[in-house]
Amino acid sequence: MAFNVTEVLEIPIGVGDITVERLLYFAVILTVGVIIAKVVSTNVRRILAERLPKNERELLTKLVYYGIIVWAFVVALPQLNFDLSGLLVAGGIVGLVIGFASQSVVSNLISGLFLMFEHPIRIGDNINVADVSGSVEDIRVLSTVIKTYDGVYVRIPNEKVFTSNITNYVHNAARRFEYQIGIRYQDDANAAIRIAKEVIETHPFALKSPAPSVFVDNFGDNSVNLTAYIWAPARNWWDVRTDLLWKIKLALEENGIEMPFPQRTVWFADGLEVKERSGEKKE
Amino acid sequence: MMFGRYRGSFRREWGDILVEAESVDGLLTYRRRCGGQTFERILVLNTGEVIINPVEPVNLPRDITDFLLMEFSPMMIEPGATQTVYLKFPVEIGVFVESAKDIEVLDVFARGSQKYTLYGSPTNGVIARWYRSAVYPEIPPVEFFCEGVMELSIHNASHEWVEVSCAVFESTDMKLYYGDFVAASAKMKILGPSLAETDFIDAPLQTGMVKSIELYTARKIPVINRGYLMEWGF
Repeated sequence: MAFNVTEVLEIPIGVGDITVERLLYFAVILTVGVIIAKVVSTNVRRILAERLPKNERELLTKLVYYGIIVWAFVVALPQLNFDLSGLLVAGGIVGLVIGFASQSVVSNLISGLFLMFEHPIRIGDNINVADVSGSVEDIRVLSTVIKTYDGVYVRIPNEKVFTSNITNYVHNAARRFEYQIGIRYQDDANAAIRIAKEVIETHPFALKSPAPSVFVDNFGDNSVNLTAYIWAPARNWWDVRTDLLWKIKLALEENGIEMPFPQRTVWFADGLEVKERSGEKKE
Repeated sequence: MMFGRYRGSFRREWGDILVEAESVDGLLTYRRRCGGQTFERILVLNTGEVIINPVEPVNLPRDITDFLLMEFSPMMIEPGATQTVYLKFPVEIGVFVESAKDIEVLDVFARGSQKYTLYGSPTNGVIARWYRSAVYPEIPPVEFFCEGVMELSIHNASHEWVEVSCAVFESTDMKLYYGDFVAASAKMKILGPSLAETDFIDAPLQTGMVKSIELYTARKIPVINRGYLMEWGF
Protein backbone atom coordinates (compact mmCIF):
# COMPACT_ATOMS: atom_id res chain seq x y z
CA MET A 1 0.00 0.00 0.00
CA ALA A 2 1.51 3.37 -1.11
CA PHE A 3 1.93 6.24 1.44
CA ASN A 4 0.21 9.38 0.12
CA VAL A 5 1.39 12.59 1.87
CA THR A 6 -1.40 14.71 0.42
CA GLU A 7 -4.00 12.39 1.81
CA VAL A 8 -2.36 12.43 5.23
CA LEU A 9 -2.25 16.21 5.28
CA GLU A 10 -5.93 16.38 4.49
CA ILE A 11 -6.97 14.11 7.33
CA PRO A 12 -9.18 16.06 9.78
CA ILE A 13 -7.92 16.04 13.34
CA GLY A 14 -11.43 15.89 14.76
CA VAL A 15 -11.85 19.51 15.87
CA GLY A 16 -14.10 21.35 13.44
CA ASP A 17 -12.74 20.99 9.94
CA ILE A 18 -9.09 21.54 10.90
CA THR A 19 -6.76 19.28 8.98
CA VAL A 20 -3.26 18.04 9.79
CA GLU A 21 -1.94 20.45 7.16
CA ARG A 22 -3.49 23.47 8.91
CA LEU A 23 -2.21 22.27 12.26
CA LEU A 24 1.28 21.94 10.79
CA TYR A 25 1.07 25.47 9.33
CA PHE A 26 0.04 26.76 12.75
CA ALA A 27 2.99 25.00 14.39
CA VAL A 28 5.43 26.21 11.73
CA ILE A 29 4.29 29.86 12.04
CA LEU A 30 4.60 29.68 15.82
CA THR A 31 8.05 28.08 15.58
CA VAL A 32 9.25 30.73 13.13
CA GLY A 33 7.81 33.39 15.45
CA VAL A 34 9.72 31.97 18.42
CA ILE A 35 12.95 31.84 16.39
CA ILE A 36 12.50 35.45 15.22
CA ALA A 37 11.68 36.50 18.80
CA LYS A 38 14.84 34.84 20.10
CA VAL A 39 17.07 36.41 17.42
CA VAL A 40 15.55 39.88 17.79
CA SER A 41 15.58 39.84 21.60
CA THR A 42 19.20 38.65 21.67
CA ASN A 43 20.20 41.51 19.41
CA VAL A 44 18.15 44.01 21.40
CA ARG A 45 19.92 42.83 24.55
CA ARG A 46 23.30 43.19 22.86
CA ILE A 47 22.56 46.67 21.48
CA LEU A 48 21.26 47.92 24.82
CA ALA A 49 24.06 46.29 26.81
CA GLU A 50 25.93 49.55 27.41
CA ARG A 51 22.97 51.88 27.25
CA LEU A 52 20.68 50.50 29.92
CA PRO A 53 21.06 48.94 33.35
CA LYS A 54 20.53 45.19 33.46
CA ASN A 55 17.01 45.17 34.93
CA GLU A 56 15.70 47.70 32.39
CA ARG A 57 17.44 45.87 29.58
CA GLU A 58 15.89 42.55 30.55
CA LEU A 59 12.45 44.14 30.82
CA LEU A 60 12.66 45.62 27.32
CA THR A 61 14.07 42.38 25.92
CA LYS A 62 11.18 40.40 27.38
CA LEU A 63 8.68 42.91 26.02
CA VAL A 64 10.14 42.50 22.53
CA TYR A 65 10.30 38.70 22.87
CA TYR A 66 6.71 38.21 24.00
CA GLY A 67 5.44 40.90 21.62
CA ILE A 68 6.80 38.95 18.64
CA ILE A 69 5.38 35.67 19.97
CA VAL A 70 1.92 37.24 20.42
CA TRP A 71 2.17 38.61 16.88
CA ALA A 72 3.09 35.12 15.53
CA PHE A 73 0.22 33.60 17.50
CA VAL A 74 -2.26 36.08 16.03
CA VAL A 75 -0.91 35.42 12.53
CA ALA A 76 -1.16 31.64 13.06
CA LEU A 77 -4.65 31.60 14.58
CA PRO A 78 -6.60 31.69 11.25
CA GLN A 79 -4.99 28.33 10.42
CA LEU A 80 -7.19 26.88 13.17
CA ASN A 81 -10.23 28.58 11.67
CA PHE A 82 -10.32 30.97 14.61
CA ASP A 83 -12.39 34.03 13.82
CA LEU A 84 -10.32 37.08 14.82
CA SER A 85 -13.06 39.63 14.20
CA GLY A 86 -14.62 39.06 17.62
CA LEU A 87 -11.19 39.17 19.23
CA LEU A 88 -10.39 42.36 17.39
CA VAL A 89 -13.58 44.08 18.62
CA ALA A 90 -12.93 42.93 22.18
CA GLY A 91 -9.26 43.76 21.81
CA GLY A 92 -10.13 47.21 20.49
CA ILE A 93 -12.31 48.01 23.49
CA VAL A 94 -9.78 46.59 25.94
CA GLY A 95 -7.01 48.46 24.11
CA LEU A 96 -8.97 51.70 24.40
CA VAL A 97 -9.45 51.22 28.14
CA ILE A 98 -5.82 50.23 28.69
CA GLY A 99 -4.70 53.10 26.46
CA PHE A 100 -6.52 55.69 28.58
CA ALA A 101 -5.38 54.07 31.81
CA SER A 102 -1.74 53.78 30.78
CA GLN A 103 -1.40 57.13 29.05
CA SER A 104 1.08 58.50 31.57
CA VAL A 105 2.94 55.20 31.73
CA VAL A 106 3.43 55.16 27.98
CA SER A 107 4.38 58.83 28.02
CA ASN A 108 7.02 58.13 30.68
CA LEU A 109 8.21 55.09 28.77
CA ILE A 110 8.66 57.00 25.52
CA SER A 111 10.35 59.89 27.37
CA GLY A 112 12.64 57.38 29.07
CA LEU A 113 13.63 55.89 25.74
CA PHE A 114 14.37 59.36 24.33
CA LEU A 115 16.44 60.20 27.42
CA MET A 116 18.43 57.01 26.99
CA PHE A 117 19.22 57.68 23.35
CA GLU A 118 19.63 61.46 23.47
CA HIS A 119 21.90 61.31 26.54
CA PRO A 120 21.31 64.79 28.01
CA ILE A 121 22.20 63.18 31.34
CA ARG A 122 24.23 60.16 32.38
CA ILE A 123 24.49 58.22 35.59
CA GLY A 124 26.79 60.11 37.97
CA ASP A 125 26.19 63.53 36.40
CA ASN A 126 25.47 66.50 38.63
CA ILE A 127 22.28 68.06 37.35
CA ASN A 128 19.38 70.32 38.14
CA VAL A 129 16.04 69.24 36.76
CA ALA A 130 12.53 70.20 37.81
CA ASP A 131 14.01 72.22 40.70
CA VAL A 132 15.85 69.18 42.04
CA SER A 133 19.64 69.33 42.25
CA GLY A 134 21.81 66.31 42.79
CA SER A 135 23.62 63.48 41.07
CA VAL A 136 21.89 61.02 38.77
CA GLU A 137 21.70 57.62 40.45
CA ASP A 138 19.77 55.75 37.79
CA ILE A 139 17.90 56.32 34.54
CA ARG A 140 15.09 53.78 34.36
CA VAL A 141 12.48 53.11 31.72
CA LEU A 142 9.77 55.06 33.57
CA SER A 143 11.67 57.31 35.95
CA THR A 144 14.98 58.92 36.78
CA VAL A 145 16.43 58.62 40.26
CA ILE A 146 18.39 61.53 41.67
CA LYS A 147 20.32 61.64 44.91
CA THR A 148 20.26 65.21 46.16
CA TYR A 149 23.38 66.72 47.69
CA ASP A 150 21.76 66.08 51.10
CA GLY A 151 21.64 62.38 50.26
CA VAL A 152 17.87 62.30 49.69
CA TYR A 153 16.36 59.87 47.15
CA VAL A 154 14.16 61.63 44.58
CA ARG A 155 12.30 59.78 41.83
CA ILE A 156 11.21 61.95 38.93
CA PRO A 157 8.94 60.57 36.16
CA ASN A 158 10.78 60.57 32.86
CA GLU A 159 8.11 62.69 31.17
CA LYS A 160 8.84 65.48 33.66
CA VAL A 161 12.59 65.12 33.16
CA PHE A 162 12.22 65.17 29.40
CA THR A 163 9.96 68.23 29.30
CA SER A 164 11.87 70.23 31.93
CA ASN A 165 14.93 72.40 31.51
CA ILE A 166 17.91 70.21 32.36
CA THR A 167 21.08 71.83 33.66
CA ASN A 168 23.93 69.37 33.48
CA TYR A 169 26.87 70.78 35.39
CA VAL A 170 29.36 68.19 34.17
CA HIS A 171 28.31 67.70 30.55
CA ASN A 172 31.22 69.81 29.29
CA ALA A 173 34.84 68.93 29.97
CA ALA A 174 35.58 72.16 31.85
CA ARG A 175 33.71 74.93 33.60
CA ARG A 176 34.55 78.33 35.02
CA PHE A 177 34.01 79.72 38.46
CA GLU A 178 34.82 83.09 39.96
CA TYR A 179 35.97 84.73 43.17
CA GLN A 180 35.48 88.26 44.38
CA ILE A 181 38.51 89.39 46.38
CA GLY A 182 38.44 92.75 48.18
CA ILE A 183 41.71 94.48 49.12
CA ARG A 184 42.35 97.77 50.93
CA TYR A 185 42.67 100.97 48.93
CA GLN A 186 46.25 101.44 50.07
CA ASP A 187 47.29 97.94 48.90
CA ASP A 188 49.06 97.37 45.60
CA ALA A 189 46.44 95.85 43.28
CA ASN A 190 49.09 94.70 40.78
CA ALA A 191 50.91 92.81 43.51
CA ALA A 192 47.63 91.25 44.66
CA ILE A 193 46.87 90.12 41.10
CA ARG A 194 50.35 88.63 40.74
CA ILE A 195 50.10 86.77 44.05
CA ALA A 196 46.63 85.43 43.29
CA LYS A 197 47.81 84.20 39.87
CA GLU A 198 50.82 82.50 41.45
CA VAL A 199 48.58 80.64 43.91
CA ILE A 200 46.18 79.61 41.15
CA GLU A 201 49.13 78.40 39.05
CA THR A 202 50.21 75.98 41.78
CA HIS A 203 46.89 74.15 41.82
CA PRO A 204 47.01 71.09 39.54
CA PHE A 205 43.35 71.32 38.52
CA ALA A 206 43.19 75.09 37.95
CA LEU A 207 43.55 74.68 34.21
CA LYS A 208 46.53 76.04 32.32
CA SER A 209 44.26 76.69 29.37
CA PRO A 210 41.83 78.47 29.31
CA ALA A 211 44.15 80.61 31.41
CA PRO A 212 42.90 82.06 34.70
CA SER A 213 42.13 85.75 34.71
CA VAL A 214 42.51 88.10 37.69
CA PHE A 215 41.75 91.80 37.35
CA VAL A 216 40.51 94.90 39.17
CA ASP A 217 36.78 94.74 38.65
CA ASN A 218 35.41 97.71 40.58
CA PHE A 219 35.97 100.16 43.43
CA GLY A 220 33.72 99.20 46.31
CA ASP A 221 32.65 101.20 49.34
CA ASN A 222 35.27 99.58 51.51
CA SER A 223 37.65 97.82 49.14
CA VAL A 224 39.15 97.58 45.70
CA ASN A 225 37.42 94.51 44.32
CA LEU A 226 39.37 92.01 42.27
CA THR A 227 37.65 89.31 40.25
CA ALA A 228 39.30 85.99 39.47
CA TYR A 229 38.00 83.71 36.72
CA ILE A 230 39.32 80.17 36.95
CA TRP A 231 38.62 77.19 34.72
CA ALA A 232 38.64 73.69 36.21
CA PRO A 233 37.65 70.20 35.07
CA ALA A 234 33.84 70.07 35.32
CA ARG A 235 33.89 67.06 37.63
CA ASN A 236 36.42 68.64 40.00
CA TRP A 237 35.53 72.30 39.94
CA TRP A 238 33.96 72.32 43.40
CA ASP A 239 37.10 70.86 45.00
CA VAL A 240 39.23 73.48 43.27
CA ARG A 241 36.86 76.26 44.26
CA THR A 242 36.83 75.31 47.93
CA ASP A 243 40.57 74.72 48.00
CA LEU A 244 41.90 77.84 46.33
CA LEU A 245 40.11 80.73 47.99
CA TRP A 246 41.65 80.27 51.42
CA LYS A 247 45.10 79.73 49.90
CA ILE A 248 44.77 83.03 48.03
CA LYS A 249 43.70 84.79 51.24
CA LEU A 250 46.68 83.40 53.15
CA ALA A 251 49.13 84.28 50.39
CA LEU A 252 47.83 87.85 50.21
CA GLU A 253 48.10 88.28 53.97
CA GLU A 254 51.65 86.89 53.97
CA ASN A 255 52.52 89.68 51.58
CA GLY A 256 50.88 92.38 53.67
CA ILE A 257 47.73 92.67 51.59
CA GLU A 258 44.59 92.49 53.69
CA MET A 259 40.88 92.24 53.14
CA PRO A 260 39.28 95.28 54.78
CA PHE A 261 36.33 95.30 57.13
CA PRO A 262 33.42 97.58 56.25
CA GLN A 263 34.32 101.08 57.39
CA ARG A 264 32.95 104.63 57.45
CA THR A 265 34.84 107.89 57.70
CA VAL A 266 32.73 110.25 59.83
CA TRP A 267 33.27 114.04 59.69
CA PHE A 268 31.99 116.23 62.53
CA ALA A 269 31.07 119.75 61.57
CA ASP A 270 32.40 121.22 64.86
CA GLY A 271 35.13 118.74 65.52
CA LEU A 272 34.96 115.85 67.99
CA GLU A 273 34.91 116.93 71.62
CA VAL A 274 35.25 114.48 74.48
CA LYS A 275 33.24 115.65 77.48
CA GLU A 276 34.03 114.53 80.98
CA ARG A 277 31.21 112.82 82.84
CA SER A 278 30.38 114.28 86.28
CA GLY A 279 30.85 111.03 88.27
CA GLU A 280 34.40 110.33 87.04
CA LYS A 281 37.42 111.18 89.15
CA LYS A 282 40.10 113.48 87.96
CA GLU A 283 43.58 111.97 87.98
CA MET B 1 67.89 51.53 40.69
CA MET B 2 64.50 51.32 42.30
CA PHE B 3 62.58 49.75 39.41
CA GLY B 4 62.26 45.99 39.38
CA ARG B 5 60.66 43.02 41.16
CA TYR B 6 60.89 42.38 44.88
CA ARG B 7 59.89 39.43 47.01
CA GLY B 8 59.53 39.74 50.80
CA SER B 9 61.31 42.59 52.58
CA PHE B 10 63.19 45.22 50.62
CA ARG B 11 64.23 48.84 50.97
CA ARG B 12 65.01 51.32 48.23
CA GLU B 13 65.88 54.96 48.76
CA TRP B 14 66.58 57.65 46.22
CA GLY B 15 66.75 61.29 47.31
CA ASP B 16 63.55 62.03 49.18
CA ILE B 17 61.89 58.85 47.91
CA LEU B 18 61.74 55.82 50.15
CA VAL B 19 59.99 52.61 49.18
CA GLU B 20 60.21 49.62 51.47
CA ALA B 21 58.45 46.50 52.61
CA GLU B 22 59.40 45.33 56.07
CA SER B 23 58.02 42.97 58.63
CA VAL B 24 56.27 44.83 61.45
CA ASP B 25 54.98 42.62 64.29
CA GLY B 26 54.99 39.68 61.93
CA LEU B 27 53.08 41.51 59.19
CA LEU B 28 54.76 42.54 55.96
CA THR B 29 54.12 46.27 55.58
CA TYR B 30 54.64 48.26 52.41
CA ARG B 31 55.63 51.84 53.10
CA ARG B 32 56.31 54.71 50.71
CA ARG B 33 57.49 58.24 51.41
CA CYS B 34 57.77 60.83 48.65
CA GLY B 35 57.57 64.61 48.73
CA GLY B 36 56.38 64.68 52.33
CA GLN B 37 53.55 62.25 51.67
CA THR B 38 53.40 58.72 52.97
CA PHE B 39 51.43 55.63 52.05
CA GLU B 40 51.25 52.37 53.95
CA ARG B 41 49.62 48.98 53.35
CA ILE B 42 49.88 45.60 55.03
CA LEU B 43 50.72 42.96 52.44
CA VAL B 44 49.64 39.35 52.68
CA LEU B 45 51.81 37.52 50.18
CA ASN B 46 52.40 33.83 49.60
CA THR B 47 54.21 33.73 46.31
CA GLY B 48 53.38 37.28 45.23
CA GLU B 49 55.90 39.90 44.25
CA VAL B 50 56.04 43.67 44.41
CA ILE B 51 56.84 45.34 41.09
CA ILE B 52 57.97 48.95 40.79
CA ASN B 53 58.16 50.63 37.40
CA PRO B 54 57.30 53.90 35.65
CA VAL B 55 53.68 54.27 34.57
CA GLU B 56 51.58 56.55 32.38
CA PRO B 57 51.78 60.07 33.90
CA VAL B 58 48.08 60.84 34.19
CA ASN B 59 47.16 59.51 37.63
CA LEU B 60 48.15 62.23 40.10
CA PRO B 61 46.93 63.92 42.17
CA ARG B 62 43.79 62.09 41.04
CA ASP B 63 42.91 60.01 38.01
CA ILE B 64 40.71 62.37 35.98
CA THR B 65 41.86 61.89 32.40
CA ASP B 66 43.64 59.61 29.95
CA PHE B 67 45.30 62.36 27.96
CA LEU B 68 48.77 63.86 28.04
CA LEU B 69 49.44 67.20 26.34
CA MET B 70 53.09 67.91 25.61
CA GLU B 71 53.82 71.56 24.87
CA PHE B 72 57.14 72.34 23.26
CA SER B 73 59.01 75.08 21.42
CA PRO B 74 57.15 75.87 18.17
CA MET B 75 58.46 74.18 15.03
CA MET B 76 57.71 75.18 11.43
CA ILE B 77 57.51 72.05 9.30
CA GLU B 78 57.65 71.91 5.53
CA PRO B 79 55.00 69.89 3.63
CA GLY B 80 56.13 66.27 3.35
CA ALA B 81 58.99 66.70 5.86
CA THR B 82 59.68 64.32 8.73
CA GLN B 83 61.69 65.16 11.82
CA THR B 84 62.56 63.13 14.88
CA VAL B 85 63.02 65.12 18.07
CA TYR B 86 63.36 64.31 21.75
CA LEU B 87 61.15 65.72 24.50
CA LYS B 88 61.10 65.33 28.23
CA PHE B 89 57.89 63.98 29.75
CA PRO B 90 56.79 63.59 33.38
CA VAL B 91 57.20 60.25 35.09
CA GLU B 92 54.93 58.66 37.66
CA ILE B 93 55.98 55.55 39.53
CA GLY B 94 53.60 52.64 39.88
CA VAL B 95 53.84 49.90 42.48
CA PHE B 96 52.06 46.63 41.69
CA VAL B 97 51.46 43.41 43.57
CA GLU B 98 51.56 40.39 41.33
CA SER B 99 50.77 36.74 41.83
CA ALA B 100 50.55 33.89 39.35
CA LYS B 101 46.86 34.61 38.82
CA ASP B 102 46.48 38.36 39.11
CA ILE B 103 48.14 41.74 39.22
CA GLU B 104 46.86 44.80 41.07
CA VAL B 105 47.93 48.43 41.50
CA LEU B 106 49.17 49.11 45.02
CA ASP B 107 50.44 52.67 44.81
CA VAL B 108 51.23 55.47 42.37
CA PHE B 109 53.46 58.37 43.30
CA ALA B 110 55.67 61.00 41.70
CA ARG B 111 58.09 63.75 42.48
CA GLY B 112 57.21 67.27 41.47
CA SER B 113 53.87 68.85 40.75
CA GLN B 114 51.21 68.26 38.16
CA LYS B 115 49.23 70.62 35.99
CA TYR B 116 46.20 69.98 33.83
CA THR B 117 44.79 71.82 30.85
CA LEU B 118 41.91 71.76 28.40
CA TYR B 119 42.59 70.69 24.84
CA GLY B 120 39.85 71.91 22.53
CA SER B 121 36.71 73.76 23.51
CA PRO B 122 34.98 73.43 26.90
CA THR B 123 32.07 71.75 25.07
CA ASN B 124 33.89 69.14 23.04
CA GLY B 125 37.46 69.23 24.32
CA VAL B 126 39.29 66.93 26.70
CA ILE B 127 41.11 67.51 29.96
CA ALA B 128 44.77 66.57 29.63
CA ARG B 129 47.84 66.42 31.86
CA TRP B 130 50.01 69.34 30.75
CA TYR B 131 53.77 69.32 30.49
CA ARG B 132 56.17 71.72 28.80
CA SER B 133 59.44 70.55 27.33
CA ALA B 134 62.21 71.98 25.26
CA VAL B 135 62.93 70.31 21.92
CA TYR B 136 66.17 68.32 21.81
CA PRO B 137 67.92 66.95 18.71
CA GLU B 138 69.43 64.11 20.76
CA ILE B 139 68.51 62.20 23.91
CA PRO B 140 68.77 64.82 26.67
CA PRO B 141 69.97 64.11 30.22
CA VAL B 142 66.98 63.77 32.54
CA GLU B 143 66.40 63.66 36.26
CA PHE B 144 65.62 60.02 36.99
CA PHE B 145 62.22 59.41 38.65
CA CYS B 146 61.09 62.88 37.57
CA GLU B 147 61.30 62.90 33.81
CA GLY B 148 61.59 60.53 30.90
CA VAL B 149 62.65 60.94 27.29
CA MET B 150 60.14 60.75 24.48
CA GLU B 151 61.33 60.19 20.95
CA LEU B 152 58.78 61.95 18.76
CA SER B 153 58.73 61.52 15.02
CA ILE B 154 56.70 64.29 13.38
CA HIS B 155 55.63 63.94 9.77
CA ASN B 156 53.82 66.68 7.91
CA ALA B 157 51.58 64.78 5.51
CA SER B 158 49.62 67.91 4.57
CA HIS B 159 50.28 70.20 1.64
CA GLU B 160 50.94 73.28 3.75
CA TRP B 161 53.61 74.57 6.07
CA VAL B 162 52.48 74.01 9.64
CA GLU B 163 53.58 75.31 13.02
CA VAL B 164 53.57 72.64 15.71
CA SER B 165 53.88 73.46 19.39
CA CYS B 166 51.99 70.67 21.13
CA ALA B 167 51.06 67.03 20.85
CA VAL B 168 48.23 65.27 22.65
CA PHE B 169 48.49 61.56 23.39
CA GLU B 170 46.06 59.04 24.76
CA SER B 171 47.91 57.48 27.67
CA THR B 172 46.15 54.15 27.30
CA ASP B 173 48.37 53.62 24.25
CA MET B 174 51.56 54.59 26.09
CA LYS B 175 54.36 52.04 26.13
CA LEU B 176 57.10 52.85 28.62
CA TYR B 177 60.54 51.31 28.84
CA TYR B 178 63.22 51.85 31.44
CA GLY B 179 66.93 51.31 31.74
CA ASP B 180 69.36 54.15 32.38
CA PHE B 181 66.34 56.41 31.99
CA VAL B 182 62.61 56.13 31.34
CA ALA B 183 61.70 56.25 27.66
CA ALA B 184 58.78 56.24 25.25
CA SER B 185 58.54 56.48 21.48
CA ALA B 186 55.74 58.23 19.67
CA LYS B 187 54.78 59.51 16.26
CA MET B 188 52.72 62.43 15.07
CA LYS B 189 51.29 62.67 11.59
CA ILE B 190 49.97 66.07 10.56
CA LEU B 191 46.98 65.68 8.28
CA GLY B 192 45.82 69.29 7.88
CA PRO B 193 46.07 72.81 9.30
CA SER B 194 44.49 71.74 12.60
CA LEU B 195 44.32 67.97 12.34
CA ALA B 196 46.93 65.44 13.42
CA GLU B 197 47.19 61.82 14.49
CA THR B 198 49.35 60.74 17.40
CA ASP B 199 50.26 57.29 18.60
CA PHE B 200 52.86 55.52 20.67
CA ILE B 201 55.31 53.00 19.27
CA ASP B 202 55.87 49.82 21.24
CA ALA B 203 59.67 49.74 21.00
CA PRO B 204 62.52 50.50 23.42
CA LEU B 205 64.57 53.61 22.77
CA GLN B 206 67.79 51.74 23.55
CA THR B 207 68.66 48.08 23.54
CA GLY B 208 68.42 46.37 26.92
CA MET B 209 65.55 48.51 28.19
CA VAL B 210 62.80 46.74 30.15
CA LYS B 211 59.13 47.22 29.31
CA SER B 212 56.97 48.66 32.09
CA ILE B 213 53.74 47.09 33.23
CA GLU B 214 50.97 49.50 32.21
CA LEU B 215 48.35 50.65 34.68
CA TYR B 216 45.62 49.79 32.21
CA THR B 217 46.82 46.21 32.08
CA ALA B 218 46.90 45.98 35.85
CA ARG B 219 43.49 47.59 36.18
CA LYS B 220 42.11 45.16 33.59
CA ILE B 221 40.61 47.99 31.56
CA PRO B 222 40.11 46.80 28.00
CA VAL B 223 41.54 49.34 25.56
CA ILE B 224 41.95 49.43 21.81
CA ASN B 225 45.18 50.92 20.62
CA ARG B 226 43.99 53.35 18.01
CA GLY B 227 46.02 56.49 18.74
CA TYR B 228 44.48 59.91 19.14
CA LEU B 229 43.13 62.31 16.56
CA MET B 230 43.98 65.92 17.42
CA GLU B 231 41.11 67.94 16.01
CA TRP B 232 41.65 71.28 17.69
CA GLY B 233 45.05 72.28 16.43
CA PHE B 234 48.63 71.72 17.48
